[in-house]
Amino acid sequence: MARYRSLALAVTLAACALLPAAAQGLQRLTVTRLTLSASTLTPQVEVPFDLVIEAHVKQQVTHLENLDLPVLAEVELLGDENSIVAGPGGSTYTERIRVVAHHSGTITIDPVTLDAIDARDGKAKRYSSNALTLNVQAAGLAGPGSAPIDLFALLVAALRWLFAIALVVFVVAIIFVRRRRAVAPAPVAPPEPVPAQPVEAPPTIEERLSRARELLQASPTRTNVLHVRTVVREMVGANDAETLDDVLRRIPPHDVRMRSLLRALERAAFTHDDDFRTAAADVIRRLEEMT
Amino acid sequence: MSVHPRALADALHRTIVGQDAAVEALVLALLANGHVLLEGPPGLAKTLACRALAAALDGDFKRIQFTPDLLPSDIVGTRIFDQHESRFTTVLGPIFANVVLADEINRAPAKVQSALLEAMQERQVTIGPQTHPLPDPFVVMATMNPLDAEGTYALPAAQLDRFLAKVDVSYPSRAEEFEILERFAMNETLPVHAVATLDDVRRWREEAHAIHIDEKLKHYIVELVAVTRERESHYIDYGASPRATLAIANLARAKALLAERDFALPDDVRAVAPLALRHRIGFNFRVTTENVGPAAILDRLIAAVPTP
Repeated sequence: MARYRSLALAVTLAACALLPAAAQGLQRLTVTRLTLSASTLTPQVEVPFDLVIEAHVKQQVTHLENLDLPVLAEVELLGDENSIVAGPGGSTYTERIRVVAHHSGTITIDPVTLDAIDARDGKAKRYSSNALTLNVQAAGLAGPGSAPIDLFALLVAALRWLFAIALVVFVVAIIFVRRRRAVAPAPVAPPEPVPAQPVEAPPTIEERLSRARELLQASPTRTNVLHVRTVVREMVGANDAETLDDVLRRIPPHDVRMRSLLRALERAAFTHDDDFRTAAADVIRRLEEMT
Repeated sequence: MSVHPRALADALHRTIVGQDAAVEALVLALLANGHVLLEGPPGLAKTLACRALAAALDGDFKRIQFTPDLLPSDIVGTRIFDQHESRFTTVLGPIFANVVLADEINRAPAKVQSALLEAMQERQVTIGPQTHPLPDPFVVMATMNPLDAEGTYALPAAQLDRFLAKVDVSYPSRAEEFEILERFAMNETLPVHAVATLDDVRRWREEAHAIHIDEKLKHYIVELVAVTRERESHYIDYGASPRATLAIANLARAKALLAERDFALPDDVRAVAPLALRHRIGFNFRVTTENVGPAAILDRLIAAVPTP
């Protein structure tokens, strides 16, 4: 416990060294990366390993203020070194913290945080790295001396499994072959002759337009105008996202009738009720001209 | 003889080379009774466009150059003690004009910006015990340099929302730049004379207000705004407000009026949607770090909504 207390104190002091008083203001930074990683995710008890903090900012800086490290209560701090490399693309801060674990089990290390003013929008922000989960292994589990024994045991276990799988496959194959021989193929009855149904060909686009026009002539309503508009748009290959301007760009300038029809349809589809009858009549007249 | 708003746009085009989108947005905002924000690097005729519009209207024009030491009273006015009369008299600020050019609005601190934006919203100013209505029509045209320029303050989202439209002014094409060179070399910047009166503006606004927007178009507008809150969440922190819905509808009506129609079309809505949406969407830092322009995201959002 005494060791953990001294460790927590050491980490707090290190954090304090990195954290200037908040009143001094925050650095103006564009933070593009802040990560926390370890040299191994399965460290051994009493075997030192490294925690690595990496931060990248777009600005040219010589140090990073307000970088807050988590309290490393479950490991012992052995040493700490950091560096910052500034280049044309910004500055990269790297910090390596050498630690050692004294007990096996799972250790969770909280994220590293960096407080700064976001240079893009001028707002104070707290950036967080990822958290880290380490699985500390007992010393004898994979020690160098036990490696040959473990390998041999692993090999034996693998061979046993392979043999068992081969046996099962062999038995299943024999059963399958015997059953196939035992079952005689059933006589297949000839299919009943199905009387040919007269298949109605789908109406062509011209037929659909003709029907839509007849419907509009018989009943000049907004719904029928929209029906004609849908068919005409389909005729010219318009998709759902296209507006009249998009469609007109595809129609050659000399195709005056189609261009006029499309404009008349747009008017009839969206004009106010007082103008609708005139607009619908205009559509009918232009449809008649086209046919 | 009544003047059509197209005459105003034509007058501006005689002064300004290119910048069609900016010119049209200025006219649309005027017709839709809203304020407009122009953003772009210095030297792209933003101020000239606003000046030309003011000159084309037969109204009062005031220009306020925003600086870091500007005070709210420099904009709205103040009360001064008159020693001869032994009483306070009110001196109205430059905001009391029909067309106000707020140049480089993001160079002033927040309290000055908010003084202007409050006046824009309320269309009246209170100085001491008295409330003074602003003239009608009253339109603010603000220019803004990009935020990463030195010595600028970001406009809060709530204040950006007060602008009906925002136009990103881009560099001219080579041909346009050549024409600029020719004109300035020959000193041929044509002065704009008043082509319309304030009564014309008031009448245009009434006409624009009466433009019909079909039910299908209203659904289309609602979808365009809703999609900003639902899609592209990787790049967007918050979508457009309901003010954007109203802004699109009003701008679409103005666009229809410019096209001499008394009903709006899907083309009108789609054309004005970026003007109303761009400054109302909260794009996050990934737009910058992943080098994806807000305009490209906006285009994708608009293309995702089927037109009626």
